[in-house]
Amino acid sequence: MSAPIIAAEALSFRYPGAPTDTLRNVDLRIERGDFVAVVGGNGSGKTTLCKTFNGLVPHYWSGEFAGRVTVDGQDTFTSSVAELSQTVGYVYQDFQNQLVRPTVRDEVSFGPVNFGRPDHAERTAEALEMVGIEHLAEKFVWQLSGGQSHLVALASVLALRPEVIVVDEPVAELDPAAAEEVYRRLTALNRDHGLTVITIEHHAEFIAAHARSVLLMSDGSPVWHLPTDQALARADELSRHGIPAPQIVDAAARLGLPQVPQSVADAAAMLSEHRRAPYPDPATTTATTATAPRDRPATGERSVVVAEGIRHAHRGVRGELRPVLDDLDLQLHAGDRVALIGGNGAGKTTLMKLLAGIAVPRAGEILLEGISTRSRSARRLADQACYLDQRPERMFLKDSVRADVALFPRGRGVDDAEQLVDRILRRVRLEQLSDRDGRTLSGGQQRRATLGIGLAMRPSLLLLDEPTASLDVASRDDVITMLDELSDDIACSVVATHDMHLVAEWATRVIALEHGRVLADMAPAELFASPEIMRRARLVPPQVVELGLALGMEPPPLSVAELLDACADRTEPTADRTEEAPAWR
Amino acid sequence: MALTRTTHDVLSVEWIKLELIRTAYATRGGLVARMDPRVVLGWYALLALAPWFTHNLTTLGALFVLAAVFVVLARVGPLVLGLFVIGLISEMVYLAVAALFFDGDLDTVLALTEVTLKLGVVSLASLAAFVSLDPEKLSDALLALRMPATAAFAVSYGYRMMPILVEEFSTVLESARLREPAPSRGGVLGWRHLVHWATLVVRAFYPIFLNTAKSVRTTVEALEARGFTAATIDPRARAIRLASLRVTGLDLAVVAATLAAVVGCHLIGAQWPLHRG
Repeated sequence: MSAPIIAAEALSFRYPGAPTDTLRNVDLRIERGDFVAVVGGNGSGKTTLCKTFNGLVPHYWSGEFAGRVTVDGQDTFTSSVAELSQTVGYVYQDFQNQLVRPTVRDEVSFGPVNFGRPDHAERTAEALEMVGIEHLAEKFVWQLSGGQSHLVALASVLALRPEVIVVDEPVAELDPAAAEEVYRRLTALNRDHGLTVITIEHHAEFIAAHARSVLLMSDGSPVWHLPTDQALARADELSRHGIPAPQIVDAAARLGLPQVPQSVADAAAMLSEHRRAPYPDPATTTATTATAPRDRPATGERSVVVAEGIRHAHRGVRGELRPVLDDLDLQLHAGDRVALIGGNGAGKTTLMKLLAGIAVPRAGEILLEGISTRSRSARRLADQACYLDQRPERMFLKDSVRADVALFPRGRGVDDAEQLVDRILRRVRLEQLSDRDGRTLSGGQQRRATLGIGLAMRPSLLLLDEPTASLDVASRDDVITMLDELSDDIACSVVATHDMHLVAEWATRVIALEHGRVLADMAPAELFASPEIMRRARLVPPQVVELGLALGMEPPPLSVAELLDACADRTEPTADRTEEAPAWR
Repeated sequence: MALTRTTHDVLSVEWIKLELIRTAYATRGGLVARMDPRVVLGWYALLALAPWFTHNLTTLGALFVLAAVFVVLARVGPLVLGLFVIGLISEMVYLAVAALFFDGDLDTVLALTEVTLKLGVVSLASLAAFVSLDPEKLSDALLALRMPATAAFAVSYGYRMMPILVEEFSTVLESARLREPAPSRGGVLGWRHLVHWATLVVRAFYPIFLNTAKSVRTTVEALEARGFTAATIDPRARAIRLASLRVTGLDLAVVAATLAAVVGCHLIGAQWPLHRG
């Protein structure tokens, strides 16, 4: 076997001032041309491990470093970050902060120019081409969408022609279609250019579809490093470390199928082969899904929002008007749980800000609880509607969570404001952390803190922008559960999201926007059964929905449980139904 | 009073953001934006130094007009121009009041006007020059003039951060405006609202600094990884950066025309001299 591209021997590392080692006695070999997914719970040392590969640990983060890491034969301890970076490229989770130049071309050529490469122009062109963003070369970096920025960050490290690329949680800040695009590019780089790719990833779906091997980290050391199919077969162990199995793997296991499916098509074939497929049978399948109690409330419910003929546009840098919303009509009722979906730039955020009365439309009228948003200041409308920004830290104005939650009720002279604040902090389970600055909390806690801020405003309309973006799976489920519990306090909630699990598990109504118009307004099950709308809204349905559709179920199941129910209707559960997949042994 | 809210395209926070971007990145184009950045800096030095060698008000007036012509040619936007005009007017009012208050006369005002005119010429020249230099050009020019690479980079990175900071600032301010208690009555000329608003603006900096401090760590690591420090030692990086700079006929023509115009201003001043006292 050839020499590994990366090897760690007895590697330990402790951050300065930390009570325990973050990396503990790590022994590791990564072969040339591998595509490794590094998985593990929060605080398992994934990011720290990856930062040893390009020397940021120990050269930038000076702590106690023991053991030896070699990258392409170079000892990282005796070489510099600059030298190692020509072999190992690193794309950060918060990749926006890694872009340091104004235009895309400058950004990509920054590395080669700094290292004085005479062929910097060719390298730049080559890197742009490798990730397919030649058309963006002259754009300013702040004009890019999230997905485009990520590809630019990727191109900028590729321009140094590295042999290894480390990508830290690409899915966290991207919409599903953009994340898929990033993974397709990474797979192509791995396959066509022989690059070694290392990603930190929580989502088993992406691991199953793209990785060649999986490295499980726990408590600072690797538990195992296995080929992907063997790794995914250990679904139980993965889910203990915060990586729930992909829905198809979960479903296959719970149906007692012997193999682990790699794709939806795979799973559909297996189910058919084992005579487990729930054949389309309107009588049974409809009963399990379509008439779920989460259907839209009947018309005649109290309207919270009535919007008519809404048109809005933003000014561009060159003074042009760029239309965002185009003659949009919308009614939201008490009891609605609305998921607002659509690709980046479809107008979701703009619409929510208009509904909250933060801005007023250029044309058309919005009645919020019967009050025209034109007739009152945004500050007074805050009594009726609350908009929670996508970035929680922008909502933290004070130096403690408690002060932030209390800000609104105290300022408005609400009676028993203190009890209200206590009750809300309990509700969002942050009493213990209420004296901490919101910025120091974890991602999931930050979301809960902003939910608390919103609740304290006691609005009848709560608008949330991407509340589950960049959360790991456990924190995401936590937020969804909390949203579920809040529905008795808030008359109507609207969530702009790309997260189809949130749509499937929480929403009663889905409004899809496209080019500033309502493309569709339907129940979640109907949406997932409409591939055309899903594609136009740049969405990827949950795997179980795809599997249901592949099996011809109409409407498709929204959760694994619903799929199992449908299967159970077809075949009697057999003994192996509850047995775990063989590889779990 | 019935309130009717509409969307404002000017004098809103959004407008200020766009204007700053347009100004910083010279998106309006214009004559000076097409010039070589090193020549622009030289041209700027020429126009900014010219008024300090004379006390002749006619010459100064002519120079002021010349600088104003360049402001038009450089397509300076309404925001910075507006700020300049407000600054100039308030300066003159202040001078007049101060002169009267301290027992001065018209002669004092004239003397102070001379300084104001000189500063005005320098300001207009700065507007024309720096509005036309986008961050890359400015930082390349600084590099060409043997400024340290860190300074040149700081200029370019500062510009890159600006739209992000403005965006962050407007969001935090919006959040504060909705949630902070506001005075129930405005008072004379709404002074309480003014004080309230000013307090919000100042307080909004606290979250912004903390939020930004967190993200800068990634930036510093990324800079190191992409050879920023290596470039400050390696002369090849500087050579590559500067290879794209070219002095063209346009540059020479503009400098020659400016030189002629400055001489012309002095000739006009000599023809119809106007001195105080």
